[in-house]
Amino acid sequence: MPLLKGTLDILVLKTLSWGPMHAFEIISWLEARSGGRLAVADAAFVQCVHRMEERGLVTAQWGTTKNDRQARYYRLTAAGRAHLGTEGRALSEHVDAIATVLAAKNAGR
Amino acid sequence: MIAAPFRQGVRRLFRLALHLRRLGRADARAELESVLDARTEQFIALGMSRAEARIEAVHRLGGSIEQALHDLERSAERREERMRLRDLFDDLRDDIRFAVRGLRRDKVMASFIVVTLALGIGANAAMFGAADRLLLRGPEHIVDPSSVMRIYSTRHGPNGDGTGSSFGWVSYDTFKHATHSFAAVAAYSVNSSGTTFGTGADAVLIPTGAVTYDLFPLLGVRPLLGRFFTAAEDSPDAPQHVVVIGDALWVRAFGRDSAVLGRKIRLGDEDYTVVGVAPHSFTGPQLAPVDAWTPMALRSRGITDRWTKSWNAQWLRLVARVKTGVSREQASADATAAYRSAYAGNDPLFKTTTLDVRPLSFANNGREATEVTIVRWLVGVTVVVLLIACSNVANLLLARAVRRRREIAVRIALGAGRGRLTRLLLTESLLLAALATFAGLAVAWATSILLRRVLIPGIDWPSAPIDPRVLGVSLAIAMAVGLLTGLAPALRASSPDLTASLKAGARDGGGQTSRLRGALMISQAALSLVLLTGAGLFVRSLMRVRAIDLGFEPDRVLVVGVRYPAAARLSDPRAAGEVARRRSVFAEAVRRARQLPAVEDASLSVGLPFESSFGQELRIPGWDSIPEFKAPGPHISAVAPNYFETLGTRLLEGRTFTAADRDGSEPVAIVSRAMARTFWHRDHVLGECLYWSTSKDSLTTCSRIVGVVADAHAWGIKELPAMNYYVPLGQERGMGGTVLLVRPKPGREVEATRMVRSLVLSIDPSISFVNTATMQQSIDPQVRPWRLGAAVFTLMGVLALVVAAVGLYSVMSYLVAQRTREIGVRLALGAQARSIVFLVLRNSVSMAAVGVAIGLVIVLWAGRFIAPLLFDTSPRDMGVLLGGAATLLAVSVLASAVPALRAKRVNPIEALRSD
Repeated sequence: MPLLKGTLDILVLKTLSWGPMHAFEIISWLEARSGGRLAVADAAFVQCVHRMEERGLVTAQWGTTKNDRQARYYRLTAAGRAHLGTEGRALSEHVDAIATVLAAKNAGR
Repeated sequence: MIAAPFRQGVRRLFRLALHLRRLGRADARAELESVLDARTEQFIALGMSRAEARIEAVHRLGGSIEQALHDLERSAERREERMRLRDLFDDLRDDIRFAVRGLRRDKVMASFIVVTLALGIGANAAMFGAADRLLLRGPEHIVDPSSVMRIYSTRHGPNGDGTGSSFGWVSYDTFKHATHSFAAVAAYSVNSSGTTFGTGADAVLIPTGAVTYDLFPLLGVRPLLGRFFTAAEDSPDAPQHVVVIGDALWVRAFGRDSAVLGRKIRLGDEDYTVVGVAPHSFTGPQLAPVDAWTPMALRSRGITDRWTKSWNAQWLRLVARVKTGVSREQASADATAAYRSAYAGNDPLFKTTTLDVRPLSFANNGREATEVTIVRWLVGVTVVVLLIACSNVANLLLARAVRRRREIAVRIALGAGRGRLTRLLLTESLLLAALATFAGLAVAWATSILLRRVLIPGIDWPSAPIDPRVLGVSLAIAMAVGLLTGLAPALRASSPDLTASLKAGARDGGGQTSRLRGALMISQAALSLVLLTGAGLFVRSLMRVRAIDLGFEPDRVLVVGVRYPAAARLSDPRAAGEVARRRSVFAEAVRRARQLPAVEDASLSVGLPFESSFGQELRIPGWDSIPEFKAPGPHISAVAPNYFETLGTRLLEGRTFTAADRDGSEPVAIVSRAMARTFWHRDHVLGECLYWSTSKDSLTTCSRIVGVVADAHAWGIKELPAMNYYVPLGQERGMGGTVLLVRPKPGREVEATRMVRSLVLSIDPSISFVNTATMQQSIDPQVRPWRLGAAVFTLMGVLALVVAAVGLYSVMSYLVAQRTREIGVRLALGAQARSIVFLVLRNSVSMAAVGVAIGLVIVLWAGRFIAPLLFDTSPRDMGVLLGGAATLLAVSVLASAVPALRAKRVNPIEALRSD
C-alpha cells in the first residue's frame, strides 16, 4: 500500500530523532524497523528529505561515511522536532483509530 | 491530511528566505548515486552478483537515476511555486491589514473619503444604468438592434421641411415589397393613453400596441408562452380578434397561469382570444411599457374605409431591419425611390417626400428622444462630480502621505522595497475605493429609483436598478478611482529624500506636493463653478417656464373624461336618443358636482387646451379668407356656463355664457383677445359677428360676440397663445368628446377626485371607465426637460460644492497644522492675530479665485452647447454667472475660516517648543 506523504515525513523525522544520518542510513534504518514492509522507492526518501529541508524541518551537510564516501547528513531542526511532536502524536492516534476499527470482531449492535 | 495545518506557517514563522538555493543538480546526482551505491553494496553483501545487485538497486531507487533526478527537480519547483503564491497572498493580507490599521488611525479622513467616493461612484453607476438602457442597449429582446431602424419621412412644404414618422398602410406595403435594402419591414402603433381592460368597476386602462404580424420575427423576439399571431390573423380582409399579452399583465391579472392561452379578454369593447404571452419587458421597438399586442389590420379598420389604399391617413410607425452591408444612405435612397414611384396621385407634397432611416433611439419627430439627450447630460454631469470627488480624495491622500513622510522614510531606511511601499499605499486607496463601492451601490440604488420614478418616467425598465453590468462598471470605476487617487501620493511618498525627511519630520510641506495640491483645489473649484452655473441656468429657465401665463390655472383644474362601451355607434342616427341621454348625464354630473363640498366650481367643454382642439370653417366680415397666422388657431370650443370661472381664465369684457345660452337660443360667441386683435385690430369687439359652420357653403348664421376673454395656450408652453372662440355647449356642430371640468377647493383635490368619480358612475352605471387627471398632468411632459435639468444640476452642484468645501476645509486645516511652527514664530515676533487669519484666508481664497476664473472660461465656452436646452435664458446670464462665482468664493471663505481662526489661537511658546 502506498504511503501518505505526510506519514513518510513523520517516519523520516522519527528516524532522524536518533541522530544525524545520510539518506541511505535513513532508508535502511526504516527498513530494519519495519521489517522491510514499507513499499517506498529509494528516490522518494531523497525527495522527502529535500522537501523537509526546504521547509526548515531538517538541515543538511556534506560529510564522510564510515566507508569513506561523500554523503549528505541530515539533522533535525527545532522546527522539525516540534513538527514531529505534534504531528507524530496525531499520526499515532490516527493509526490507532484505524487499527481499532479493523480489529473489530463483531458489528457491536 | 495529517501534516497539512503545520506546513504553512513554518517557513514564515522562522523568517526563512524564499529563495533557498536549491540543491545543485550535481549535488543531487551525487546524493542519488551514493544511495544507489550503498544499496548495490548491500545487495552484493547478500550474495548477488555486482550486475544483478546494480539492476536491483536501480529498481529500488524507483527507475533510472535520470528519472529520479527529474522528479526531484519537478517537486522542488512545484514547492517553490506554491510558496511564492502563498507569500504573495500573505503580503497582500499584510498590506490590507496595514492599510486598515492606518485608516483606523485617521477615521475622520477615511470616512470622508469613503462618503465622497461613494457619492461619486454611486451617481455614476446609476447614470450608467440609465445610459446603458437608453443609449447602448436599446429595447429589450431585439436581436442585433443596431440593424433595426425606424423609417422617417421629410416633407418639403412651403413653410419649410417637416419630419415625421407616421405612415399609411400603402407605405408599409410599398417598403415591404418594392425595396431591396430591407430584410424585413413591420408596422406598429402604440396607444399610450391606454385601452380599457376588463369591464365595469374593475376596468383599468392599459397601454396597448397594434402591430403587424411580421414585427415579432423582425425583432427576433420569441414568445414566453404560446405564439405570436400569424399573417392570416392579421390579414386586411379578415383580421382575427387575437391578442398577445405582455408578461407584466400576465403576472398582474392572471398570476402567471398558463391556462390563459385560449381565454377571452375584453379590450375596449371587444373580446380577444389570448394566443401568447410576450417575454418579460418586451416593449417592441420603443421603451414605453405595453401590456397587450393586437393585430394591426384589426386596429386599422377604424381609420377609414379605404385604409389599405389611403395616402392621407397616417397612423403607422415603421421599423425595418436593414440588410447586412447596406448603408443607411443606400437604404434611405431605396426607400425614397420606392415611395415616390408608388404614389400615383398629384399632391406635390407626396411626390417630393424624402425618406430616411434612423436608429431606434430617435423619437417620433425624427430627433433624438428627449430622454436620450437628458441621459447624455446626466452622464456628463455625474462624470464631473466624480472628477471633483477624485481630485478631492487625491488631495487628502497627498496630504496624508506628506504627514507620513517620516514614517515612510523610516520604513525605507529599515529596508522596505520601493515597489512594496508603493503597493502598500495603493492598497490603501484601493481599499478606500472598495469600501466606497459598497456604500456607492446603496447610493446607486437610491439614485436609480429616483431617476426611474421621477426624472425619466414612462420607460419599462427590464432589470433591477443594479444589474451585473452596472455592478461591473461600478467595480471598474472604483478600481480606476483607487489607482488614480492613490498613484500620485504613492509615487510621491515612496521616493522621498531620505535624510531630509528623517530630519524634518512631519513639519515640511514639500514644494512640489503643495503645487500639485493647489492645482487639484483649483480644478475642483472650477468644476464646481461649472455645475453651479448649470444649476443656476436651469433653475432660471424653470422659473421662466413656470412664470408663463397659460391663460388658465392648470394645477387647479381636474379633467374628467368618460368612456362608454362602443356598443351603440354614435354616428348611427338611431343612436340619437343615446346622444341626448349622454348629454343629460353630463348636465346632471356638472349640476351635482357643483354641490359637492370639496368642489369650488364645475363646467363642461368640447375642446380643451392640451387635450383636444377643433377647427371649423370660419368667416369674419372684412376678411376674404382666413390666412395662416403665426399664432395657432382659430380653434373653436363649446363650453358650458362657468367654464372660464372653472379654468381661471379672466373675462376682459362683456359676459360669459349662462344657462340661457343653449341649443336653439340666439347664436353667441366669446373670443380670446388674440383673436379680437388679429381680426378686428382692437380689444373691444362686443356685438361683432362671426360666422362659423362645418362647411363653407353654410356660413350664414351670425354668432354675436358677447364677451372677450384672456388668451390661452392651445398645445405648447413655448408657442404663442392661440386664437380661440367659444360657443355655448349645445350650439356646437360636428364636434364631440365632452369632458367634465372640476375645480376643487384648494387642498381638497384628492377628496374631490374620489367623489367626482363615484358621482359620475352613480349617475350612469353603463359608463365603462372614468378617467381623471389635472390639466397640469398634460402639460408636465413639456416642462420636464427644465425641471429635470434644474433638479439634476442643482443636486449635483450642491454635492460638488459640499465636496469641494469639505476638501478645502481639510486641506487648509492640514496646512495650518503644518505651519504651526512658522505661525508661532510670526506671533512671537509680534505679528497681529488678524494678519495671521488674513494669511490663511488669502491662501484659500486665491486658489478659489483662480478656480472661479478658469470655471468662468469653461462656462462661457460650453454655453453654446447648453443654450438650446434653456428657456428664455442666455447661457451667459450675468446674474447666474456672478451668483455662482460669489457662492463659490463665499463657501471658500467659510471653509477656511475655521482653520484660519485656529491659526490665530496658536500658542507661540508651545509651537516653538514642540518637535
